[in-house]
Amino acid sequence: MTELKHYFAPTSLDQAVECLKDGDVTILAGGTDLTPQSQAGRIKIKHTLMNIRHIPQLTGITLEGREIRIGALATITEIMEHPLVREHLPVLVEACDHFASDQIRNAGTIGGNICNASPAGDTLIPLLVLDASVELASMPEAKLYRHSMPLSTFFVGPGKTRKSLCELVTGVRIPLPAPGHVARFFKLGTRPALDISTISIGVAGTLKDGVLSNARVAFGAVAPTPTRAAQTEQALEGQRLDAATIERVAAVARDEVKPIDDVRATAWYRKEMIHNITKRILSHVAQA
Amino acid sequence: MNVAEKKARVIEPDSLIGKRIPKMDAPEKASGRTRYIHDINLSGQLHGKILRSSRIHALIKSIDVSAARALPGVHVVITAADIPDQRPIGVAKDHFPLKVGRVRSQRDEIAAVAAESEEIAEAALKLIKVEYEDLPVISDPEQAIMPGAALIHPEPHGADGSHLHLKQGMSIAHKGKPDNIAMRFDYVHGDVVQGEAESDVVVEDTFKLHYVTHCCMGVSGMIAEFDASGNLLMYSNTQVPFLHKREFADYLNMDPARIRIIQPPIGGGFGSKLDIYPFEVICLYLARAAKRPVKMLFTREEEFLASPTRQPVLLTLRSGCKKDGTLTFRQVHTLHDNGAYTSWGATTPFVMMQTFSSLYRVPHCDYHTAAVYTNNPYAGSFRGYGNLQATFAIEQHMDMLAEKIGMDPLEFRLKNAQDAGETTGQGMSFKSCGFKDCITTAARRSDYSRKARENAANRGKPGNIKRGIGMASMLHVGGGAKIYPSDGCGTILKMDDFANVTLITGASEIGQGSETVLSQLVCEELGLPISAITVVNNDTAITPWDVGVHASRTTFIAGNSAIGAAKKAKSKILAVAAKKYDVAEDELDLRGGFVIQAASGEVVVELSKLLRNLHFQDKAELVMTTFYYEPPSVHQDKGFKGDVSAAYAWGTQVVEVEVDTDTGQVRMTKVTGAHDVGRVLNRLGIEGQIEGGVVMGQGYALTEDLLIQNGVMKNPNFRDYKLVTAPEIPEMDIAFIESMDGEGPQGAKGVGEAPSICIAAATANAIANATGVRMYELPFTPEKVYRALRGQTPKLYWKPWKAD
Ligand SMILES: Cc1cc2nc3c(=O)[nH]c(=O)nc-3n(C[C@H](O)[C@H](O)[C@H](O)COP(=O)(O)OP(=O)(O)OC[C@H]3O[C@@H](n4cnc5c(N)ncnc54)[C@H](O)[C@@H]3O)c2cc1C
Repeated sequence: MTELKHYFAPTSLDQAVECLKDGDVTILAGGTDLTPQSQAGRIKIKHTLMNIRHIPQLTGITLEGREIRIGALATITEIMEHPLVREHLPVLVEACDHFASDQIRNAGTIGGNICNASPAGDTLIPLLVLDASVELASMPEAKLYRHSMPLSTFFVGPGKTRKSLCELVTGVRIPLPAPGHVARFFKLGTRPALDISTISIGVAGTLKDGVLSNARVAFGAVAPTPTRAAQTEQALEGQRLDAATIERVAAVARDEVKPIDDVRATAWYRKEMIHNITKRILSHVAQA
Repeated sequence: MNVAEKKARVIEPDSLIGKRIPKMDAPEKASGRTRYIHDINLSGQLHGKILRSSRIHALIKSIDVSAARALPGVHVVITAADIPDQRPIGVAKDHFPLKVGRVRSQRDEIAAVAAESEEIAEAALKLIKVEYEDLPVISDPEQAIMPGAALIHPEPHGADGSHLHLKQGMSIAHKGKPDNIAMRFDYVHGDVVQGEAESDVVVEDTFKLHYVTHCCMGVSGMIAEFDASGNLLMYSNTQVPFLHKREFADYLNMDPARIRIIQPPIGGGFGSKLDIYPFEVICLYLARAAKRPVKMLFTREEEFLASPTRQPVLLTLRSGCKKDGTLTFRQVHTLHDNGAYTSWGATTPFVMMQTFSSLYRVPHCDYHTAAVYTNNPYAGSFRGYGNLQATFAIEQHMDMLAEKIGMDPLEFRLKNAQDAGETTGQGMSFKSCGFKDCITTAARRSDYSRKARENAANRGKPGNIKRGIGMASMLHVGGGAKIYPSDGCGTILKMDDFANVTLITGASEIGQGSETVLSQLVCEELGLPISAITVVNNDTAITPWDVGVHASRTTFIAGNSAIGAAKKAKSKILAVAAKKYDVAEDELDLRGGFVIQAASGEVVVELSKLLRNLHFQDKAELVMTTFYYEPPSVHQDKGFKGDVSAAYAWGTQVVEVEVDTDTGQVRMTKVTGAHDVGRVLNRLGIEGQIEGGVVMGQGYALTEDLLIQNGVMKNPNFRDYKLVTAPEIPEMDIAFIESMDGEGPQGAKGVGEAPSICIAAATANAIANATGVRMYELPFTPEKVYRALRGQTPKLYWKPWKAD
């Protein structure tokens, strides 16, 4: 059972980060990870359970200068339906479309997906290839302190991030993609809906005259964290996407990942899929 | 029409048979009003919880429950030591509800608590200390059957190490077993040596069938209460109230007459509630000790861990035929992983051998099963009862043999298919048989032959998506199954003074829609609308005897029983009306709530009025009838031969798939089914039954896989145990072949299990049609298919275990 002593539902960011100061707090957003994990005994709810759903600063999807800001509380459904996201970040819509079921999408938030830091977290792969950064807030002294860091450096292990116990994720920021930007996401599972990824792949870059630059590749469920694939990106950078290049890049990708065997698949199959799907995605990009 | 004509009221003929009638319990269920066992709470009730083994195979060195007993709010804590008169349960009586001295599987029950809340009961479990001494885990039945293998139920030894030779007739739980073989089945007709000599081609393959489980939406549960006189009232989800009442009485050493079972609406059965499980007996022990009602409900994880599974099977099949397409013989050896204890799963050979011996005409058939103890979960009965496993092997061999002799697989099947009037080597006699109609209808509606040809031609062409089409057929009991000396069901029917009828039947409703179909049959006889009936079917103190919901028997057996009672009521009513109105009895009929002139439909009297007259006359009488139906089937002889069912159901399903050769993903795009159901009674109900069965078969074929490694269940949750979800459900085209069975109620036969049986087999054939690659092992998960496509799957071969 839980050690829960205290329930707190702050209505402002200041209250929330103040509460976080002593560190003995469990943050509740949509609860779609927290509830099953605590029921299965995998995590313990701490002294205070803080429901962050009434904090206005964590909501909304807005265009701020050359960046789209998605509040931590934005649900998967809101993101999927939002016109700004649909117009500028179709790859994120694609990932949301393969995320869980309607019920879970209506409750689950992007902040929760990021903080849960699952190697199979579905929004994380498109966010990585979109160069997203995470906004963090805390109250080290008596004042609200906010900073951000690139998502690519945020994850350190399954369920582990560089966020301290006293910090709250307030949102993610995504630079507006430049003209010629292309991005693709693919999720592989046993069934098309309500499945945890066996592997997932995101690819992005700028395509000009058949040549891909600013290449970004990220893989899910093949490492302890969702990761950018440096070698694959390098193999892809500045290349014309002909059949030989695609085959070569797919082989680099297969060799780069170091997955494990688990209930969903063996490492061998995951490597094969990284190869085959990378190839498939790049062929689609080349045809676009 | 003139005014005079209008006066004589005429009731037009109408029938309920074949109509689309919504299930009577649907509004309650759809609006969330149904009160399942979860919603029932008795005042003074305690909550029971079970401590399960944390080891797979171990000796129990000590159990310390003192801290649990001391916890405030805990009323009772029991272990085997507290129940000295424990009797073994299960099909082979090899199973104590609370384990004595040894645990043999992950689900094993060690202690139980009754407390004032679930939370307190949970907390108490955590305070129980158990010391174990681990034993080697035997999780591979191939090892368990080897001579010299460590034993799961060893014979007890004396203090000096000598064998204690216990009395004959004692159960396995007491006297142990000298080997790990729980059960053997050996069946033969003809002579397979001769059959093989006559064969032009022979194929032999090993098939491997996996663990799946029922996944009922309603988890298991029960409430037990002893009253002040020692009578026991149980709220139970059992599918077998009458036989279980007797068994429970045995386990409690009490008079069965003092046990009453009430079945609240059951949240799914599918065979899972056909045996008595430890939790049920433990709940009774707790209630007896606590002298308070005790409620026990599984968590979802517990439902996975401690429910029975479908029987996993390793099966080697050798089949032959002549060049002209005549089947010559079949030789079958199966190794059933029995798990640690024996439940109905071990007895699936009863059904499996029927498929091998009798689905197609086979002159020579030889069948052997060994069910072997391991430290794995144990299997129970599950919709289809071994038939999915048998059909998986047979129907792949039908395609493979056809290919070997260069014959069209459709023609090959038709050549060997059974016809009405035949009696098989196993003694099954087919009075009605729409098998060939099923095959040709499913083939025509799916355009099977053309698609199969085109798909095969497309295999080598570019593109990663390959289409495939595959066919499989099934034979299953459709008129009950005489697995006990009786296969009967009783009915009590009464009519009130408003011409409403109450049907009191022994047949349990487990969601299959029996209540609605039985109502239809009764109302059809009595010329009443469905709204005029109330069904009582869930209380052993009220309902007449029945042997339980299994073997697709309820519509057939309980239906005939209900019709029998309704016919008696009808003739009584007509006799009264004939006398009162001075008309010949056979000129009258019942229709639309009236007694009518049979020929013209003209109203004689309103039925309710007639019944009121009957009640209020000097020699008052009520219309109340009883009927007991026993089908004309026979119990099998020692060689498993005999006409075990009053009718047999047939079906053919054609599955279409798309295989992604880059990923191994298989998408089921369409299922075309043709089912010989005798006659459609409730069209809506039977469509639902077939659609649900198809989806269950789809899960078995593609996604569901209960992973057991070294006796440990790896995925006891819905995240990792993957049921089929809505978007994957294929298009379905279902046709009904109405063979009008002479014995069936209104011509109908049972169909409950039929629709899930062929899907896996047909899917395997479809994948082979798409890719040229044979799949011998279920389920067809993307990785398994991908490996097979890349030649990364070693050929399965299990050297058949030989009968002594
Ligand atoms: C049936 C089911 C299917 C699922 N399918 C998928 C799927 O297909 N793809 C997928 O990626 N995930 C899936 N999930 C996981 C889950 O839904 C997602 O990870 C979701 O985004 C979590 O969001 P939440 O708001 O519910 O998080 P919560 O459960 O509320 O929180 C998750 C974790 O993050 C912390 N946290 C939440 N918000 C913040 C914040 N703003 N600042 C700091 N810490 C925070 C919490 O303390 C907790 O540790 C599934 C879950 C279920 C139950």
